[in-house]
Amino acid sequence: MSTLSVAPAKKLNNIILQDINKSYSKGDNNVVVHDKFNLAIKSGDFVAIMGPSGLGKSTLLHLMGGLDRPTSGHVEIGGQRIDELSESKLTRWRADNIGFIFQSHHLLPVLSAQGNVELPLSLTPLNKKQRQQHAANALALVGMADRAHHFPKELSGGQEQRVAIARAIVSDPQILLCDEPTGNLDRKTADEILALLKKLNNDFGKTIVMVTHDLKAAEYASRVINLEEYIALGVEAQGAQIPQEQQSILVGE
Amino acid sequence: MNLLELVFRNSFRKKTRFTLTCLSVVVAFFLLTTLAGIDHALNASVSNSNQYRLMTSHKISITRSLPINYQQKIKALAGVENATYVSWFGGYFQNEKNQLAVMAVDHNTYFDIFDEYKIPAEQLTSWKSTRTGLVISQSIADKYDWQIGDKVPLSSSIWMNKSGSFNWEFIVSAIYQRQDNTTDSKRIFFQHLYFDKARAYARNMTSWLSTQIKTDVDDEQVSKAIDKLFNNSDAATRTTTEQVFIKEQAQQFVDMAMVIKVVLIAVFFTLLLIVCNTMIQVNRERLNETAMMKAIGFSSLSLVKQVYLESLLMLSLGAILGSLLATLTLSQVQLQFADFLPGIAIDPSHYLTVFFLVIGAAGLCSLFPAITIKRLIISETLGARA
Ligand SMILES: Nc1ncnc2c1ncn2[C@@H]1O[C@H](COP(=O)(O)OP(=O)(O)OP(=O)(O)O)[C@@H](O)[C@H]1O
Ligand SMILES: [Mg+2]
Repeated sequence: MSTLSVAPAKKLNNIILQDINKSYSKGDNNVVVHDKFNLAIKSGDFVAIMGPSGLGKSTLLHLMGGLDRPTSGHVEIGGQRIDELSESKLTRWRADNIGFIFQSHHLLPVLSAQGNVELPLSLTPLNKKQRQQHAANALALVGMADRAHHFPKELSGGQEQRVAIARAIVSDPQILLCDEPTGNLDRKTADEILALLKKLNNDFGKTIVMVTHDLKAAEYASRVINLEEYIALGVEAQGAQIPQEQQSILVGE
Repeated sequence: MNLLELVFRNSFRKKTRFTLTCLSVVVAFFLLTTLAGIDHALNASVSNSNQYRLMTSHKISITRSLPINYQQKIKALAGVENATYVSWFGGYFQNEKNQLAVMAVDHNTYFDIFDEYKIPAEQLTSWKSTRTGLVISQSIADKYDWQIGDKVPLSSSIWMNKSGSFNWEFIVSAIYQRQDNTTDSKRIFFQHLYFDKARAYARNMTSWLSTQIKTDVDDEQVSKAIDKLFNNSDAATRTTTEQVFIKEQAQQFVDMAMVIKVVLIAVFFTLLLIVCNTMIQVNRERLNETAMMKAIGFSSLSLVKQVYLESLLMLSLGAILGSLLATLTLSQVQLQFADFLPGIAIDPSHYLTVFFLVIGAAGLCSLFPAITIKRLIISETLGARA
């Protein structure tokens, strides 16, 4: 799995959300989702975020992944303020740094598993042969090597999710953001997927942030954030956590 | 897997829709190319005319005749080089289906003025001295296998001769050549003198007169002078250049072409709406996939490019098929229509027009999807769960 090893030159990708304000306004209505929110996640950590619906869990993932911007505050990843990047730079940045895994896999139905996994690589300078090789490696890693030429409609939900994971990791991003990755799966399949994520975290040092409603899923994580309680800690407590964590992160523990 | 392959596969995702939309493109480009061929024919006859020739007909209608002696009066005018007269015989050979453009002409002057008919000198001389002589084109000679000296009966749908018959006897005396393949090669000429002596009525009258003007005079002035000459007579005239005359004659075709053009624009507009609508629909169906590709790191530009290529593929396929079909059809029709609408052909530049139309239409059809893609908020689209 040489292509999926953490490149030594890659610097630590700590995730820091600082003084985040996120609100949506539609007409006169202003929905405040996050207000003065702070969070730091260590590079290489496996964090589960739990909490009631509508609390802003997905919103947090979108902010970390550069899919959305905070109304105010900093989003700093690997020392870079991604909230300040232009749209095109942010797009490019996502391609290099983030792998997304959603509840719905959103695989392209017209492409085989192999084709779907190769898709992100068409943004890289890799040649055709290299792209095929990398995709094959990623598929092997998620245990789908023998299904490479099957199309999404020929795969089970769990298999589709595996292919989606292969697509997320194929360009070797340091961070994986998962929004209820096992939401559509039965217990057994969910456990397989979670074990796979755990493996990516353990063996390849991927930083994983996973939103889930499943208590059992949270057990796979090394840190569980109950968002409701976390927010209840209040601004000071959150803020107080940051410098500490940041320090410990920065000194590399 | 590369992006072109993805475009290709996406195109054929819904085969029925693709086929139907593509067929509408085929129809539009078939019509466009066909019209271009007909347009070419209509313009060809106009550009073949001579700018130094005037055409004088009865002021009220081309179907009314004029006195033959107008020829001498016109000839006497300043600025006039030569004048001749022509009567329409309206003939056919054996069967009314074999229509021929038979005209009785003044044998002394006609071919001096209409020098685009190339006739060997000895044949011309022989024709001039043969009262019932015919001048036919090489293509007619080939078609009916007529040779010089052959006796040929031609019938008129207008003129009865003194023996009370509509069948007239002729002898082939000369064969002319023309480089261009226009209506003119359907023309057959015979002596007006024979016509005048043999016909049962309307003696000393002619259908129209042609005047050759000197190259250094203003055609409009001479036209006015001719018409002024006969203004107060029983048969007042209307004189125009040959070009204007042919254009007016072709006007019915031109009007038809105009109608076709309007219909065509409507068809084209409809086509644009259909393809546009398809692309909008396609784009909406794939919004989730588009959002995912954006999340993965595809730029809006590259996604718009894919939509553009997809429109381009559909339009090109339709355009190529439609134009090809029309080209083939015209090449068949060309032979059958050669009698009354010759010169049907497609200018090579037409294909260039098609090329640019396709490129432009693909751009227009990608416009709305492009706006949607550009405005798409990934978190909202992917957040909306099924
Ligand atoms: N585009 C938007 N416009 C307006 N409000 C929004 C928008 N996106 C999210 N919200 C609101 O933000 C809040 C948080 O949404 P979010 O999707 O982050 O919740 P969540 O914690 O992921 O919930 P769930 O567990 O149901 O997925 C919700 O109240 C939602 O209505
Ligand atoms: Mg959510």
